[in-house]
Amino acid sequence: MFRRPDNSAHERNMPRLPGGFSLPPFGLHQWLALIIVCIALWAIGLLWLGLQAGSSWTQGWRADIRFHVYLEKAGNGRVQDLAEKLKTVPGVGAVRIVPQNETRAWLNDWLGGGGHMPDDLLAALPASIEVTPGARSGEFLYADLADAARAFGGSVNRGEAHLVQAQSMLAHVEQMLWFGTLVMALAMVIVISNTLRMTLLARADEIQLMRLLGAGEWFVRMPFLLEGGLLGAGAGALSWLLLWPPLFAVGDWLAQLDADVSGFALFLPLIVGGALVGCLGALLATTRLASENTATA
Amino acid sequence: MIQMNRLMLRYPTGKTALSGMTMNIEKGRFAYLTGESGAGKSSLLRCLYGGVRPSSGQLSVQGVDVRRAGQGQIRRLRRDIGIIFQDHRLLFSRTVFENVALPLRVQGWKPDRLVARAEKVLEFVGLKDRLWSFPEALSGGEQQRVAIARAMSTKPPLILADEPTGNLDIDTARHVMDYLMELNRQGSTVIMATHDLHLLDTHPGDIFRLHAGALAEELHLVSGGARPAQQGEAHVPQT
Repeated sequence: MFRRPDNSAHERNMPRLPGGFSLPPFGLHQWLALIIVCIALWAIGLLWLGLQAGSSWTQGWRADIRFHVYLEKAGNGRVQDLAEKLKTVPGVGAVRIVPQNETRAWLNDWLGGGGHMPDDLLAALPASIEVTPGARSGEFLYADLADAARAFGGSVNRGEAHLVQAQSMLAHVEQMLWFGTLVMALAMVIVISNTLRMTLLARADEIQLMRLLGAGEWFVRMPFLLEGGLLGAGAGALSWLLLWPPLFAVGDWLAQLDADVSGFALFLPLIVGGALVGCLGALLATTRLASENTATA
Repeated sequence: MIQMNRLMLRYPTGKTALSGMTMNIEKGRFAYLTGESGAGKSSLLRCLYGGVRPSSGQLSVQGVDVRRAGQGQIRRLRRDIGIIFQDHRLLFSRTVFENVALPLRVQGWKPDRLVARAEKVLEFVGLKDRLWSFPEALSGGEQQRVAIARAMSTKPPLILADEPTGNLDIDTARHVMDYLMELNRQGSTVIMATHDLHLLDTHPGDIFRLHAGALAEELHLVSGGARPAQQGEAHVPQT
């Protein structure tokens, strides 16, 4: 009845999804967006890994950081006086004089647990006072403790003070990193949005046809939201894979520092974060689709 | 099915496409909109599916007041209308199946029913074996038949066809008309804009001749003989 041209040899063969649907076209724009978002997520991932390493190195997981104040060759009276003085320092939660047998046990452990501790070594050890910072301890706590100890001829353990200062600094760095992550996320949303805008232009006929067939707002938007989400999640997965080479490269150095860093911890944040910025980008790109679908003459 | 009274359509450019159109099209009819280019055929069809809102007058399509209907009402109206365009508007990046299944998806059909339904309507137009082809691999006539399959896939009570045979040779055009006539016999109201008047010899129907945006002549097909003229109506004998 109808003449049928023999052009089956020229027919395209495209991979099909379950249900018979074709995969959406994935062109140069999508590849570029994928690479840009991947690089951005990779950079963010590296920064967070760095923070993770720093936090591990400074024992950021410890909530029980305490200062130790030492007093050389002091009688019990002076130690007691210094302890009372330390209790009056603003920001101090608790003060405890460390008993000598506790010091002996700690030193024994530190020396390898030989069991025999020379008396002259024990006698040479300074008296030790343990200060627990209170909930409202400020950044001047170390300086105040040092002043109080100096008045009695004592000193504060500097290593512990540096640890606390480093932790405080890392807390600031974390805040800045959150801000940077938000800025980068915004940039990624815009990149994906622009990419999908180009896709929207390329598929304007399809959108108009959907409208003519009576499609609702979300029916038209959904393919683009899915595309944005998948693009973002794909970029997240790729960036996660790219985190491993640098992790392996600095693995020995991290081990020396005793810094425990886990790349797996960033798997879900990168993929979910990527999908989220992808969906937000798609929402932004399809905002104008929400305009009226009929003209008023 | 369709009632309009003093329908007027003026585009934002200032051009008046329809001026005081008054006509009724009953359910189950096969109606031709004829007239010269620019007479208002396509504009009238656009009004019927809510593509443009009339500037004044009244237009009711399947009980929906197109002029005052909200977006949701227009969407629901469109789901009850099958539209066939002169340039068929197939999606060339999608397979024939996806093109035919698009109205079904819009109406929320379950995915597992789509292939069976698409096969059925493609069988009606003789293209069942091209389900997974892309439109670019089809001839012009085949593409138009896919467009017909798409328009009929949801069994709409109203089919609007805007010069569906405009780009086809005479033989292919007649076959396309056969399909539209068959849809009409199955109960769909068909309204077709055309200036291909020789098709009317072999595929008769009511004729609404437009001129300069107004109804110039109205000829009603009468089964088994001519219907008496009513207020200036003329008749087209059934062949």
